[in-house]
Amino acid sequence: MSEFFYMGGFGIFIWSAMATALVLMLLEPIMLIMKRRSVLADIKRIKRLEERKNRK
Amino acid sequence: MNFYPLAGKLIPIFWLLAIALIGLGLYWGFFKTADVLSDQKQYYRIIYVHVASAWMAMWLYAVMVAWAMIGLIFNTRLSYMLASATAVTGTVMTIIALITGAIWGKTSWGTWWDWDPKLTTFLILLFIYIGYIALQAAIDDTRRSDKASALLALVGLAIVPVIYYAVNCPDPNECASLHQESSLKRVESNILIGMLVTTLGFWAYSFATILMRARNIILERERNTTWVSKLDEVK
Repeated sequence: MSEFFYMGGFGIFIWSAMATALVLMLLEPIMLIMKRRSVLADIKRIKRLEERKNRK
Repeated sequence: MNFYPLAGKLIPIFWLLAIALIGLGLYWGFFKTADVLSDQKQYYRIIYVHVASAWMAMWLYAVMVAWAMIGLIFNTRLSYMLASATAVTGTVMTIIALITGAIWGKTSWGTWWDWDPKLTTFLILLFIYIGYIALQAAIDDTRRSDKASALLALVGLAIVPVIYYAVNCPDPNECASLHQESSLKRVESNILIGMLVTTLGFWAYSFATILMRARNIILERERNTTWVSKLDEVK
């Protein structure tokens, strides 16, 4: 098993390349989900404010 | 806006496809292939993420330009939104290709970076992507920013064939090229399978993130419309 990760001495290169792709490809959707939450929260807040205004 | 709910249904499908295909492609590429090739050792396995992301960086640029063109010709807002949604995923792919390429370069050529034609033109592609995003962000009026950035994308399209042909250097004395020629014929079949399946997974990933981003852009731009205020998400 450790031989697999060692990759004939090139493990550090191969796994850091794989990790770069993995990290960026996890970060992108995480940021998209965070963005979606903040946009939805904004829309909800504005909606509540308008409902309150209409009641008065 | 029928696109919004449709995209919402497609996103999980593309995520499943992405995880399955990338998983399968990497499994095949790591376990069904020889450790040492005639000219490369184990480090050639960087190829799976490097080629997949580099291809996506170029193809997504073409996809972005196609949406921008449709926007310019038919003046459809959704196509502009899809163009800007594509740009960010394209940028991420370009960054992955550059970093993994540098790591591969260190093992294979002994240097992280060289001003080789392929590497240089690819760096320019990154700058064009960033320029597109920056230009769009710099203009407040969305209709004008959509049009201006679409034109920039169109002009920048010239770099894609240059990148593609950048390694076919006819005379090594005239143009030094470290980067291998991009010929699929040179690749052993099991490596090719791993590479192509991973690339399909990268396509699915790109569709998933582009649709997610397009939905965010739609929500932001249409936040004052009644259909958005009636969505289940904001109840």
